[in-house]
Amino acid sequence: MTNKVCVLGAGSTKYGKLNESIIEIALNAAKDAIDSAGITPRDIQAGYISNVFGVTDKQVHIAPVIMSNLGIPYVPGLTIESACGSGSVMFREAYANIAAGFYDCVLGLGVEKITHTGTVESTTLFSYCSDFFYEGGNGASFPGLFASIARAYMSTYKANEEDLAHVAVKNHENGILNPKAHVRKKITIEDVLKSPVVASPLKLYDCCPFSDGASAVILCNEGFAKKSGRPYMEIIGSGRGASPAAVQAREDITTIPSTEAAAKQAYNMAEITPKDIDFAEVHDCFTIAEIIDIEDLGFFPKGTAAQAVREGATRRNGEIPINPSGGLKSKGHPIGATGIGQIVEVFEQFTGKAGERKVKDAEIALTHNFGATGASAAVHIFRKVE
Amino acid sequence: MSETKQQQQDLGPREKFILSANKGKILASKCLKCGHAMLETVYFCDKCFGSKFESVEFEGIGKIVTYTIQAVVPEGFEDTESYAWAIFKIDNAPFRASGFLSGITSPKDLPIGTKVKVAGFDPKHGLLLQKL
Repeated sequence: MTNKVCVLGAGSTKYGKLNESIIEIALNAAKDAIDSAGITPRDIQAGYISNVFGVTDKQVHIAPVIMSNLGIPYVPGLTIESACGSGSVMFREAYANIAAGFYDCVLGLGVEKITHTGTVESTTLFSYCSDFFYEGGNGASFPGLFASIARAYMSTYKANEEDLAHVAVKNHENGILNPKAHVRKKITIEDVLKSPVVASPLKLYDCCPFSDGASAVILCNEGFAKKSGRPYMEIIGSGRGASPAAVQAREDITTIPSTEAAAKQAYNMAEITPKDIDFAEVHDCFTIAEIIDIEDLGFFPKGTAAQAVREGATRRNGEIPINPSGGLKSKGHPIGATGIGQIVEVFEQFTGKAGERKVKDAEIALTHNFGATGASAAVHIFRKVE
Repeated sequence: MSETKQQQQDLGPREKFILSANKGKILASKCLKCGHAMLETVYFCDKCFGSKFESVEFEGIGKIVTYTIQAVVPEGFEDTESYAWAIFKIDNAPFRASGFLSGITSPKDLPIGTKVKVAGFDPKHGLLLQKL
């Protein structure tokens, strides 16, 4: 029997181009999460930190540096890297350690600083997250890998570039309402279709930005959460999945097996089905990714998501709101922080802090975040506790 | 054993893959227990977990499955003319591979299903493809 695990506090910096060092960015989010939970660093028994490109800001082994700056240098920290899925994969490890009874209360913090590198350097660094000998080494960038997936999807199912544009327009519509979003700009289908090609068939507005930022949460067992007397949410489902690292090695290029596996585990653990989810934050690094995610997560049958998006089913007032935060597309994608940022959004939605982007009557929400082209993924399901 | 043969035996799996690519072939590992052929450098078969393999060369000819033409490219590719990064299904093998196909400027240059062949391995650009 494992312990119930809860999220008691959450905080985020703004996502975008930030001037502070990676450590300062991390500490700002940590302080917000600690204040939000009504605890002090003395209550934290371990720190789980996700980060990918700290080396570009001259810092690796980042966890002990963060713990030292929080005034708890003797509390163990662990740095976890799983490309763009680092945040959710790290959250799973923090969750598992509380569930197993090793700790009562821990910090889960994701951080990234990348915008100080130029576009070519960032593009190159991201390509190292692929199966490099077979993909990046032959000239594939990350937009290029997802563009290949998009072309395969559009040649298999009834979907076109305009359908992809609907994902971008919807996520920007939500991101405008998020004060911490990187790109707060209303866009039209025509804007997306006329934006410069990055990797055909994907255009600039099909792609998320490179962002700096940090997000943090405080995880604890149920006893600790109840004792606090503060609002919290319970983690009722947790799943991890994996896929062949190279896109070419997957049986079906239009599906991400790690998402399917992680979702199945999380639904089984929570004893619910996709129909019970009130909203979801999913990994929309590119518009095609959101289309594939919402099929792999079971919200729509394979090959039908493009039509559902076109008909408005994923808008904030739709059948299943997707990415009310604005998603990676508009809120931004500081890759080590993204998976935790999604959980911060759920916490804000459940605790009355989501302002105008609030999803009405939401009580159960799902987060989905993957690394690279989906070689690693984690899915979590949360229940609001009154 | 001749010196050249000994040198070839001493090569790592990826160096051997490159040597085959330069002959227009794709080198794969075939499991001696179940016969499953895999592109990747493997130490265990992903079908039966057998750990003994023989190297087999497939003719590097296949059909385009999907691809992209990128406006923003990674380091080492900035000096190239417009190219496609393409995934292709090798005709007589149970797997796909991917490579660099130069001279592609528009999707109309490369309909899905176009026949391509392996044209070598470039230290800067990886597995080179050519339209047939």
